[in-house]
Amino acid sequence: MEIVTASAAVSYIGKVEENSAKLYENLAQKHAEDGETFLSLAKENRRNKKSIEFAYHGVISDKFEACFCFDNLDTDNYSINTELPEGISYPDALGKLVDTEEKIQKFLLDAAKQSGSLVPDVSWIFERVGKKRNQRVAKLRSLLDKVAK
Amino acid sequence: MGDMRMAILEEPIKQVLTIKNYIGGEWVESKSKKILDVVNPATQKVLAKVPVSTREEIDEAVEIAKETFPMWRNTTPVARVRYLFRLKELMEENFEELSRVQTMEHGKTIDESRGETRRGIEMVEVATGIPSLMQGSLLEDIAVGIDEFAYRQPIGVFGIIGPYNFPFMVPLWFIPFAVACGNCVVVKPSSEDPISQIKIAELAEEAGIPPGVWNVVNGGRDVVTGMLEHPDINGICFVGSTRVGRDVIYRKCGETGKRVIAQCGAKNFLLIMPDANLDRTIRSCMTSFYGNTGQRCLSGANLLVVGEGLKEHEYNAFYEKIVNAFVKAASEIRVGYALDERVQMGPLRDTEKKQRLVGLVQKGVDEGAKLMLDGRNIKLIGDWPHDAFLNPSVFTEVTQDMYIAREELFGPIANIMRAKTLDEAIEMIHNNPYGNASSIFTQNGKWTRKFVHDVKTGNVGVNIGIVAPMAFFPFAGMKQSFYGVLHGQKECIDFFTDRKVVIQRWF
Repeated sequence: MEIVTASAAVSYIGKVEENSAKLYENLAQKHAEDGETFLSLAKENRRNKKSIEFAYHGVISDKFEACFCFDNLDTDNYSINTELPEGISYPDALGKLVDTEEKIQKFLLDAAKQSGSLVPDVSWIFERVGKKRNQRVAKLRSLLDKVAK
Repeated sequence: MGDMRMAILEEPIKQVLTIKNYIGGEWVESKSKKILDVVNPATQKVLAKVPVSTREEIDEAVEIAKETFPMWRNTTPVARVRYLFRLKELMEENFEELSRVQTMEHGKTIDESRGETRRGIEMVEVATGIPSLMQGSLLEDIAVGIDEFAYRQPIGVFGIIGPYNFPFMVPLWFIPFAVACGNCVVVKPSSEDPISQIKIAELAEEAGIPPGVWNVVNGGRDVVTGMLEHPDINGICFVGSTRVGRDVIYRKCGETGKRVIAQCGAKNFLLIMPDANLDRTIRSCMTSFYGNTGQRCLSGANLLVVGEGLKEHEYNAFYEKIVNAFVKAASEIRVGYALDERVQMGPLRDTEKKQRLVGLVQKGVDEGAKLMLDGRNIKLIGDWPHDAFLNPSVFTEVTQDMYIAREELFGPIANIMRAKTLDEAIEMIHNNPYGNASSIFTQNGKWTRKFVHDVKTGNVGVNIGIVAPMAFFPFAGMKQSFYGVLHGQKECIDFFTDRKVVIQRWF
């Protein structure tokens, strides 16, 4: 699915954050030993969604190029999947989550770069949320290391 | 994978609305027998029935506003703006519904509608500063023991006449400031898309703004004439065409001694200099020429490719590059029902406007311009009736004397023209009778400084295609784009108040 408008990008990434939050909440129930970490990630997902929507609604104006701010931003190129296959092992699930977070990060940073000064606050929040993904990846990797031991 | 597909956003209007007038805090059915359909231009479905109200109804609204004025002007500014704070909160709570209604009744994209909602809210936000903004001035001791001070007082009743292209925002350039200053208003929304003004009046009622302060009378020419001729309307705010603004509104207000703000038509020029950032500039041009389907007074109309400092062969190559990039980008614009988030350009407001523009494209061809992209060939995302849709058009080989280069077209048609130097480009702008907005795309400070300094347009953009001033600046305009003395937005605080000067001595 090719994204060209700010509205579509904000909707899409909002759904990604919401679906991710649900995924982490499910994992928190399933793996109570790491529940706190997963719940904090879910909380951050919802905060990200809110921040992105707030930035978009705060700056949106006809002086910016909201309908023309993306070019070649195709969600198919990122294959972001916020569901885990039934019966997946815990280590495999963590590995998949790392992969998904890296894909989301790439999407956000690409979107930030493309929209740049065209919809300034939106690109700024995409970049901020995207860069912060490094911390999530590190957390998930540390869980993976722990489980592998 | 989780459902992350794009869908058409849910429509907030589910059944045909019967639009009423809002007079003296009551929603009253018009006595008029003449009722118009408000049609969604994308789907051609009827959204509402709007009355063409009578002279008696506008007279009644003005009478009630006049009766309400003494109470409202004696309500303290601090108390008045508290209603606006409440209104602002309600607008935020209803942000998405207000935006989708605009898309449904006007056709603009959902991004554009949200932008319009945001700018409307910003007007209310700025107007809440009235206790500071309305303050006067004082100088003590103009002579020993004598002080002089000036303060602003509200005037009475104002008529606000809204256009169809920004059905939500434009009346809000005036209403919050008029009301915050202590005046009462009678609003006439465009009969083509009146629902947004009904929604905002409903929120004003919910915010508790006292009956009679904010009135809405739907209709057409009779209501406008009624406003213009009514002795108890102290001033008129109008946004629309130059023909009506200059020949009807401005003239009539002069005859009847009313204050007037008439923001009118435009023919805006965008300059691309040789050092412009091409990718960003072309995207900005798409927004400027085709945003709101070209139906705005800040839209780009004539694109001037400027060859300042280039040799002839370099200039020709530069011109070709711009034309190719512009035509390619315009041809890729996704047109459709604008509640679909993939859509970059919606329909025109109605079928008549489309037919007029179809005629103007043909006129351009007949005048000898080269039609590089013919928007009459309709390509849509989704299966919608073609009635009001037009795709982007691009002309080259346009000369200044052509109708399409001189006059406001108000649709998705772009003219690409040549100017060898910056001086020539500025002269071309000055040859045009309008003076609403112009923009330059460059990285060069010297060129920019010269352009900003010399160009005679009220709003000037530097690497900005739509020069839409924020609420805390005036919405400027020069030449045939503006009639009056003061502009809309914050500047209209002076418009909505009288200055009283007091010189005071105590024996």
